[in-house]
Amino acid sequence: MSPPPAVVIPVLAVAVAFAAWCLVDLARAGQVRYLPKWAWAVVICLSVPGGGLVYLIVGRAKPAAGVPPEAGVAEGAGMAAGGPLLAPPVPVSRVVIEVDQLTKRFGPVTAVDGLSFTVRPGHVTGFLGPNGAGKTTTMRVILGLDAPTSGRALVGGRRYQEIIRPLHVVGSLLDATAVHSGRTAWCHLLSVAHSNGIGRRRAVQVLEATGLAAVAGRRVGEFSLGMKQRLGIAAALLADPPVLIFDEPVNGLDAAGVRWLRQLFKAMAAEGRTVLVSSHLMSEIALTADHLIIIGRGGLLADTATGRFVSRTRQDVLVRSPRAGELAALLAARGAAVRPEGDDGLAVTGVAAPAIGDLAAGHGIAVHELVPRHGSLEQAYLDLTGESTDYRAMASAPEETAVP
Amino acid sequence: MTAPQIAAAGRAVPSRLARARDVLAFEWTKLRSVRSNYWTLLIAALVTLGVTAIVAQATASAPPPPGGPMNPLTSSFLGYGEYTVLPVTVLSVLTFTSEYASGLIRTTLTAVPQRRAVLAAKAAVTGTAALTAGELLAFACFLLTQAILSGHHHGLALSHPGALRAVLAAGVVLAACAVAGVGAGAVIRHTAGAIAAAVTMIYLLAVLCLVLPHPWNVRLGRFTLPVAAYQLVTVHPRPGLLPPGLSLLVLAGWPAAALLAAALVITRRDA
Repeated sequence: MSPPPAVVIPVLAVAVAFAAWCLVDLARAGQVRYLPKWAWAVVICLSVPGGGLVYLIVGRAKPAAGVPPEAGVAEGAGMAAGGPLLAPPVPVSRVVIEVDQLTKRFGPVTAVDGLSFTVRPGHVTGFLGPNGAGKTTTMRVILGLDAPTSGRALVGGRRYQEIIRPLHVVGSLLDATAVHSGRTAWCHLLSVAHSNGIGRRRAVQVLEATGLAAVAGRRVGEFSLGMKQRLGIAAALLADPPVLIFDEPVNGLDAAGVRWLRQLFKAMAAEGRTVLVSSHLMSEIALTADHLIIIGRGGLLADTATGRFVSRTRQDVLVRSPRAGELAALLAARGAAVRPEGDDGLAVTGVAAPAIGDLAAGHGIAVHELVPRHGSLEQAYLDLTGESTDYRAMASAPEETAVP
Repeated sequence: MTAPQIAAAGRAVPSRLARARDVLAFEWTKLRSVRSNYWTLLIAALVTLGVTAIVAQATASAPPPPGGPMNPLTSSFLGYGEYTVLPVTVLSVLTFTSEYASGLIRTTLTAVPQRRAVLAAKAAVTGTAALTAGELLAFACFLLTQAILSGHHHGLALSHPGALRAVLAAGVVLAACAVAGVGAGAVIRHTAGAIAAAVTMIYLLAVLCLVLPHPWNVRLGRFTLPVAAYQLVTVHPRPGLLPPGLSLLVLAGWPAAALLAAALVITRRDA
């Protein structure tokens, strides 16, 4: 009736192994000819080994130019060169993020406490706060990942969960390491593109824009933190969204990448997009953001333009003179606030440095030093958040020294 | 700021069908792009066929049992029931737990915030893949066994009454276990715990029922997944247990219950 078992077993084993190998090859191949991949899979499965041979002979195609992983620019080239900034084909719609009386508790811990603010289009908004202030939690609520205990967060007047194909509205990157290490960068990006009806071509574009085209075929597990950041940024830019939300995006990026990202944020805001970027480092955000939202222990500390925040910082003039006492009396008569500093120094506020110099000269008082000083943004930030820091290093009693 | 602007931000609001296609394509791309899935499936297939061949040889060379005719289908699926069902169930559990472990779930739920749609798509994609693999392997196991047995003149043709149904059911069993695994992964979220729960569901509950005192081992045991599966994957269902129609319901009930539990909790928890 059928051939003896001694023949059947090895033949069947070889046939199954061959079919499996063909399927694996099919899955890894960038492109196949004539039929979609799934059709080839059916052909291989249904008519092993004949179908497998047909696939190997006529189905396999060399990847076309422009399609990763083989083709593409050198790693980092896009970023280092400033990168194509993905100009939008249509005018960008202006979308506002509103956070309204938002409270989020995790058991006994209150991460966010009655927080309200609005993020407007056309600006890069820096979202600042010490570690544990509630920045990430707020962003997770905005993105619908965490449910608020009370209050709400709206993007364009809607809860995130209500948005259909949300990547077309909000591009976000919370945690660049949150990727499956066994998947290639290209497959990761392609799957995210599929999820929102975005085409392959666009995925190739963002890979090139982020300088990842050359490594697209490599598994994400082999990537450095900086490369994962780029992949996350690529995913966020996939649908060219009017809102961008980034949590600590510069972690792990090299200097060229950081600069590219700054330029990207500014360009995106200039196009009328809403850009919200969190950081715990004032110095980083000061270079990019033109608006600041500063929180501490889950509450709002400041919601202000960066320029205005700078002007809040202490500004004074240091004067050193052997006749400091006389000069102090003269300045006080002019309405200046004078505070002695050291043996012969005066910290003067209310009168500008040239006026102090003129005054001293007019009275024949020698001046050895005349230095206008203003506090750094960093210092203003530390002053503001100092009392709301949860995890402060024991030894850091911040000295009230202003840096010129 | 308002709804029309949101629509303008993307394209026209897509139809439900297009959205379903999106999520399915999302999950399918993720499933097919992890190489270890293919290796696991390949090794499982080879081991299953090897064990099946050994079992068939043993059955063929053993003297025929004195009491009545033996069931040539039982030996067909002895290897399949363990070396295919277990690895495929583990892979199914991993579709959720690996995303929770790596944090990828946050990317997934940001891309598709309709969480039950994600659950449904994962179950559909994993279930379909398991069904395809299961049917292929079930036929391979059946043909291999019967080829070996027919050499000793007690094989069974596919045209034998109930044989085709039994072989088809073997593929369905794999799909049911895979979907149950997806549900367990979504509910428990941690790989080790979810695998333990899935294995309990698809094997251990039946073993537990075996040690119960007499009427209860059958009364409860027939509602367990492996007993229901046995009733479907045999030419001669045992009379004391549920008939094949009800067994199919029981078989579908376990993954349905797992998915229901997952659908209830997935929208309530923070990702």
